[in-house]
Amino acid sequence: MRPAKLLKYLPAFIFCGFIFVFMILWFALPKESYSSQEKRMLAEFPELNAGTLFSGDFQKSLDEYMSDHIPARNFFVGLNADFELASGRNGSNGIYLGSDGYLFPKPAVRTDQLINNAQYIKEFAESIDVPVYMTVIPSSGYANSSKLPLIHEDYTDAELISDFAKGLGSRVTFIDTADVLIRESALKQLYYRTDHHWTSRGAYECYKALGKKMGFEPVPESEFSVETVTGFYGTSYSKSALWFVSPDKIELWHNTRQSKDAVTVEIKDGSDIKTNNGYFFRERLEEDDKYPVFVDGNHSLVRITNTDVEDGTLVVVKDSYAHTIVPFLSQNYRNIIMADLRYYKKDISDIVRSENADGVLLLYSLDNLSNDPYLSNLF
Amino acid sequence: MVFSSFIFLFMFLPITLFLYYITPRRFRNLTLFVVDLVFYSWGEPMLVLLMLTSVLINYVSAILIGINREKKALARTVFVISIILNLGLLGFFKYVGFIGETLNFVLPFLDLPVLEVSLPIGISFYTFQTMSYTLFLIGLSKKVLIANEMGALWDAVRESGSQSGALGAWVGITAYTFQIYFDFSGYSDMAIGLGRMFGFEFMKNFDYPYISKSITEFWRRWHISLGTWFREYVYIPLGGNRKGLGRQIINIGVVWFLTGLWHGASWNFVLWGVYFGIILVIEKSFMLKLLKKAPAVVSHLYSLILIVFGWVLFYFENMSDMGVFIARLFGADGFMMHGSIVSCITGYIPLLIAAALVSTPLFSFIYHKIKSRAVTAVIDNAGSIAALLLCTASLASSAYNPFLYFKF
Repeated sequence: MRPAKLLKYLPAFIFCGFIFVFMILWFALPKESYSSQEKRMLAEFPELNAGTLFSGDFQKSLDEYMSDHIPARNFFVGLNADFELASGRNGSNGIYLGSDGYLFPKPAVRTDQLINNAQYIKEFAESIDVPVYMTVIPSSGYANSSKLPLIHEDYTDAELISDFAKGLGSRVTFIDTADVLIRESALKQLYYRTDHHWTSRGAYECYKALGKKMGFEPVPESEFSVETVTGFYGTSYSKSALWFVSPDKIELWHNTRQSKDAVTVEIKDGSDIKTNNGYFFRERLEEDDKYPVFVDGNHSLVRITNTDVEDGTLVVVKDSYAHTIVPFLSQNYRNIIMADLRYYKKDISDIVRSENADGVLLLYSLDNLSNDPYLSNLF
Repeated sequence: MVFSSFIFLFMFLPITLFLYYITPRRFRNLTLFVVDLVFYSWGEPMLVLLMLTSVLINYVSAILIGINREKKALARTVFVISIILNLGLLGFFKYVGFIGETLNFVLPFLDLPVLEVSLPIGISFYTFQTMSYTLFLIGLSKKVLIANEMGALWDAVRESGSQSGALGAWVGITAYTFQIYFDFSGYSDMAIGLGRMFGFEFMKNFDYPYISKSITEFWRRWHISLGTWFREYVYIPLGGNRKGLGRQIINIGVVWFLTGLWHGASWNFVLWGVYFGIILVIEKSFMLKLLKKAPAVVSHLYSLILIVFGWVLFYFENMSDMGVFIARLFGADGFMMHGSIVSCITGYIPLLIAAALVSTPLFSFIYHKIKSRAVTAVIDNAGSIAALLLCTASLASSAYNPFLYFKF
């Protein structure tokens, strides 16, 4: 064929070549059963029999199977995210790309759940006779507002938190840490760039602020040695599909004066019990999402004992933001009992009584608190 | 099976092309017939029997009519029977639920059971018309890169409710205006492109409808195959404009009532059809002359506003939702938008501008001005590669569902 003629047919060859090669690759490439980016099982090859074929179930499932296993899936998902970003749709996957490689989940919206949750906590505090402390962690986008992209939804965290606090009543000591977090965010990295959680530094600043209201003496920064772990890609990263964003570092703060074997973490999920020496679960650092290195992520009930501390028992009712701060609080309380109401289905007031607790701390991120339907289980 | 899916693009189409080209020439249509049955049966396997029945009826009727040309009465009888059977199938599958609901509404004491019949894919098109790679790709890009995104914007505007204000509501219905055009014309382009791949020529179905200077012109440029069909098989047989003005107006009314009803079995479609029927009668009686004299800006604006407003009637099947939205368009919830919809709409501005430009012949005009073969070759090939990659990326992304413990 003459070159000119070949050139004329080239777009058709490109098209046919693409769809044929894509199909062949699809058949040839091995199929993953799990997507670590999405943290979900991928579709399995559907069952083929007369029933599923004539009802159309087979065909429908085959569609899903094919979509879940296309060649170079991450490349294409990333390309789409890049294209959307380049054509003006920053935040199309629910995550904004800000300056300095920061990824911000979109802001929390006002919900009735938030106000109801204040009411549940108020009634809970009235039902027990130990001090109840509450703090709400604002979102990364709110604390880092100077890094947000030009066009973004408003982060009204301050307004929402203050409306929530008004509903708590006089028995709850509300500790406003939002101001501290905003002030310190200007100087230090208090939130991960690729994850919605706060960093160890963020938790430490909050720990200091809590000390003032809860009456303990925070361990000074100079007594910690900081171990840095690289290569952390958080959930905001996975959601955004903006693969060019560089990974975060995770800091593990170790108290240099802590005696060996002083700290035990005991995790209870139903009848399963596992124990660990120290706050950090290093096997979790092998995963892409390394945040569960802190007290092994979400569990129903976790007991943290620090025999270096003489006494003090604190019940912590929380979401995953607490996992970073509990190692600090553990410097001041011999026993911490951490309950997650999403999994723990018994009364918290029973724990308070049976453990003879000195106080209860409720620690939630605003986003989670606005949607969490489990606080009615407090008592 | 839809054209813009992985299973079609990267499985069905390559296999079909392969089978088609290894089949000896004279059996190629048989190959197409078989793969078509697979295509149609993909979503609703059992309903393909209905289609086969219909094909058989028409095939046999056509032969019977052909060999009985001399015996007028017999030929006519076969013809009438085949029409009744065809319309019966269409009527049953597409409109039986609608008729039942309407009768129950008007005459509640009847209390008819409303039949829920699932509509076989493509039956409307199919009854009307047992009806090249670049064209296919252009169509695919229109559907995936523009229509789907405009649909997402329109959804966001409706979900924002009164926060959108009049301004946001107009942006929203404009997005829907683009969605419906790029969806439909994209699909037509893909069908025409696929047809050509296998040696079938279909007529152009859309001719830049949004650049029209009157509604009369709009309907010559929008869904051309449908307009042609109604003109030839309904309007002209009813007498068209040959039996006086009164009769012509009635004929127009009938055509537009049916056009509306064809689009969907719900009263808002009838309303939409009648809306255009009335506008067309007004244009025929005096408006067209005025529009010709008016500056181009005026006639374009006149047409666009009526078209865009028409899509409001087309979209809302629920009359009270429609009322709320129309009130919003005219300021019932204030003019400005506020809340999260502001940043959402702002993000879509580049795409809205792109959609507006692609709705005009501008790019086609520029492309055909280019004299250099080399330049057009670069555009063709780079464009094909970009379209393939971006469409695949968009489809891949819609199946990417991070199930993250995001809240935790």
